Amino acid sequence: MIFERRLLTRDRGAGILEKLWQIPWSFVLLLGGVAAIGYVALLSAGSGNADLYAQKHAIRFGFGVVVMLGLALVDIRLIARFASLGYLGGIVLLVLVLMHGNVGKGAQRWIDIGPVQLQPSELMKIMLVVALAAWFHRASWERIGNPLFLVPAAIAVLLPVGLILKQPNLGTALITGMVGAAVFWAAGVRWWKFALVGAAGAVAAPIAYERLHDYQRARITTFLDPESDPLGAGYNIIQSKIALGSGGLWGKGFLQGTQGHLNFLPEKQTDFIFTMIAEEFGLVGALTTLGMLMLVVAFCYVVAFRSKHQFGRLVAIGLGTNYFLYIFVNVAMVTGSIPVGGVPLPLISHGGSAMLTVMVGFGLLLSAYVHRDAEMGPMRE
Amino acid sequence: MTHIPPHTPVAAPAPHSAPADAPMLRRPAMPADPPRAVVRVTQPDLMRRAILDKTRGRLVIAAFGFATLFGAVALKLAMATVIHPAEPRRAVALSRPPAPPAEAPVARATVTDRNGEILAVSLPLTALYANPRQIENAPEAADRLRRVLPELDRERLIQRLSGERQFAYIARALTPRQVAQVNTLGIPGLYFEEAERRFFPQGRTAAHIIGGVDVDGNGIAGVERSFDQRLRAQPNERLRLSLDIRVQLALREAVQRAIDEFNGIGGAGVVMDVNTGEVLSMVSLPDYDANDVGAATNDQRFNRVTVGVYEPGSTFKLLTASMALENGLQPWQGYDASRPISVGRFTINDYRGKGRWLALPEILAYSSNLASAHMAAAVGVNRHRDFLQRMGMTARLRIEIPETALPLVPSQRTWRELNTMTIGFGHGISVTPLHVATAGATIANGGILRQPTILAVPPGTQREGTRVISERTSEIMRRMMRLVVTDGSGRGADVPGYFVGGKTGTAQKTGPRGGYLENKRIAAFIGAFPMYAPRYAVYVMVDEPKPNARSHGFATAGWVAAPAAGMVISRIAPILGMLPEPVTPEITRAITMPMNGRGIPGYNPPAAAPATRPAAPARPSGQPAAAAPQREASLVPR
Repeated sequence: MIFERRLLTRDRGAGILEKLWQIPWSFVLLLGGVAAIGYVALLSAGSGNADLYAQKHAIRFGFGVVVMLGLALVDIRLIARFASLGYLGGIVLLVLVLMHGNVGKGAQRWIDIGPVQLQPSELMKIMLVVALAAWFHRASWERIGNPLFLVPAAIAVLLPVGLILKQPNLGTALITGMVGAAVFWAAGVRWWKFALVGAAGAVAAPIAYERLHDYQRARITTFLDPESDPLGAGYNIIQSKIALGSGGLWGKGFLQGTQGHLNFLPEKQTDFIFTMIAEEFGLVGALTTLGMLMLVVAFCYVVAFRSKHQFGRLVAIGLGTNYFLYIFVNVAMVTGSIPVGGVPLPLISHGGSAMLTVMVGFGLLLSAYVHRDAEMGPMRE
Repeated sequence: MTHIPPHTPVAAPAPHSAPADAPMLRRPAMPADPPRAVVRVTQPDLMRRAILDKTRGRLVIAAFGFATLFGAVALKLAMATVIHPAEPRRAVALSRPPAPPAEAPVARATVTDRNGEILAVSLPLTALYANPRQIENAPEAADRLRRVLPELDRERLIQRLSGERQFAYIARALTPRQVAQVNTLGIPGLYFEEAERRFFPQGRTAAHIIGGVDVDGNGIAGVERSFDQRLRAQPNERLRLSLDIRVQLALREAVQRAIDEFNGIGGAGVVMDVNTGEVLSMVSLPDYDANDVGAATNDQRFNRVTVGVYEPGSTFKLLTASMALENGLQPWQGYDASRPISVGRFTINDYRGKGRWLALPEILAYSSNLASAHMAAAVGVNRHRDFLQRMGMTARLRIEIPETALPLVPSQRTWRELNTMTIGFGHGISVTPLHVATAGATIANGGILRQPTILAVPPGTQREGTRVISERTSEIMRRMMRLVVTDGSGRGADVPGYFVGGKTGTAQKTGPRGGYLENKRIAAFIGAFPMYAPRYAVYVMVDEPKPNARSHGFATAGWVAAPAAGMVISRIAPILGMLPEPVTPEITRAITMPMNGRGIPGYNPPAAAPATRPAAPARPSGQPAAAAPQREASLVPR
């Protein structure tokens, strides 16, 4: 493995211009399109007043693009080398949020860093993906089959999941666990091991349900029967469904959605922004939005397929799963298909820290794409 | 995706030496450059390639899984929006203009806003009454009834069920299920009566306009009262008001915020279409829930917009300026505001005055009381009174709700020089906020006074109105109103792209024994937008605002009411279908004017040099000066 070091140094010299040329600009354009949809929707959520949400959204996206492009130029091997450091940082932030975090809606979720509010659980998901990808990148086929090799990785997933559950934020904890599982899966861990963990989970579920917070239990019961509590926990879903229904095929038109503008729709600038789009632009507008988001996820797969090293592939799969779950959970939530989980829609919902973490993830993804042919040996510890 | 055989000895390629989308080129069979071609493919390396290859199948499975789930939510979305929408009834009802007779016809028509949102609706219900003479055991009957209707009070129920009367209401509104349950109790002496109940789905949002009904369904206030006959006579014809509930909601929120921020005791707001006189929104705070009029206090039920009479303060200077322009004053002329005026025991002074001669635009922008008093006095008592009469400021407004108030105006006998001077800057007269809003709309719309209306005007119809000021005066006034917002006391009301114009007004309240109270004020703003072609007038008023730290100790209209009006405009303009306009040279030419009033396109002063500035007080050219020479002489400050 003498050659690797030589190649590494040589590769670092690859010009920035060359890397810029490698960046898939059509994908950057796609992200811009999704963010533009978000701008229009937030303009409507602010009743046409750009100062309320839309302006900030545009500024954050602009800042995010700079961060993303900066990360895209960073050598993927450098990222892999510092993966464990990023993971540890994420854990430290999660512990900090438990101790000093701000409480919102019954949970400690963010910390104030100067003017920015940071939700460490969002950042943690990305760090977890990178760390797991680095771990499995070193693995041979035999080692992947070796349970002892899997145990540290499993702990690396369960630790943040536990910390996020403690906040308590059930939705994000579940998504984090599923993202971790997706990386395990893509790395080639055997079916029966997933089945085993699944069975263990099924046994633990009733015990866990007992320990859930009331509001979390309420979400599950109202999901099963939203009409059971039309003024309380089921209110959001019912109002959202009415808004979707009143949108119809073509929608009521920009700024004309009564559900949204008469404040029937809760959290219309964050969790229920998709309902806002569906009410004002109809099924056509909603499917266009969904289709563009699907393209974003599809691009993650393109990166995964084209990556010639396991690290890049696993990062792409993990991030793709993360974005997919965001989108799926959000849309399924507003259509009343799954319990209300409080998951924002990436690039569209209002929220600074979510936008930043999403763009950091895209930056890593682009780096994996730009450096997809880089020779990556097993990293030295 | 090209399939790469895992065991191919791979020459180390220089990364990025080939175009991204030509994978074949990245694997030259033989290295071109010998020095870096020496590559040992190690065992672990091969293993990794094998893993990459084996896991590729898994990626395909996962991709299919994701695609399926995406398809599922897309399908669910189609279900929720088009195939099986959650509430199809309303969409259908909106597309059919006349409401079809409901299965149980009600005796009172539905009231809607201009977009068809329901504001008041009658629902058929069943009332329960008893004939106490036929009840054998009142306590037992009461206990059994309370099993079905637990909300009834036991003692009162027993009292109602006993006695020698023949009729007593037990409950006013039973659901069909409760009716069935009461029936199965089988208590003799209980009877049902078909009744209906009025519901106000918007609750307190438009309570003062809707008013309310008593337990028997008779309108007792607001639209319910003034259209009582109409609502009964044509129960199947919806009554469409000019109100826009979205605008109402935005205005209510903005006024409430201003009240909260400055600790006011109340507030009012009006949004009016300047060209038709339609009231789009009318807010009086504190308000009450129209479904529960009985619980409302007198203060809550008091409609500050139509019944409250307040001294309008500086907002009235718009009227004074219009009147002076009508009577020949030119925009570049003005009056002296350097010395206080003393009439008898009264002294008129300026709030933060400039202490010099002021041109007409400056008088409004700096809101000079002194110059306004001079200006009104120069026009003269009789003409002043006539003008206010024509503007409708001395009579009740003919809006279609019963709660209206007569302005407090000095009678013809007592209206003297001093009254004209004080009314010139809005004191010594009390009008309702709706009067001020109507005046603002009239001045902005080209000079035609239309009585405000609460009924929707069908598009395309022109409401009758009377011309009270000329187009030219209206145009100059629009420029000056814009100037107040760009450079004067109304800066807080500006919303980029909507070209707001207006006038602030802070008036001290009068105490119970007469005389002004030092720290009780009314802070108001009257404005219109967009000033190059006004469409809506906006009025916001806060009753007794207290200064706070954020307003740097001020509780004047510029700090209290103007920002609230700006907030209203920024929220309602997009709802009303107006998008912000960029500043174009045409718009700028149409709505701006300099502070000295010179150089408005089309209205140029004579080529006299500014050095010949008139001495105090200025003499407007033409009529007024000639008409009232002695009066002016008496105005020279002592």
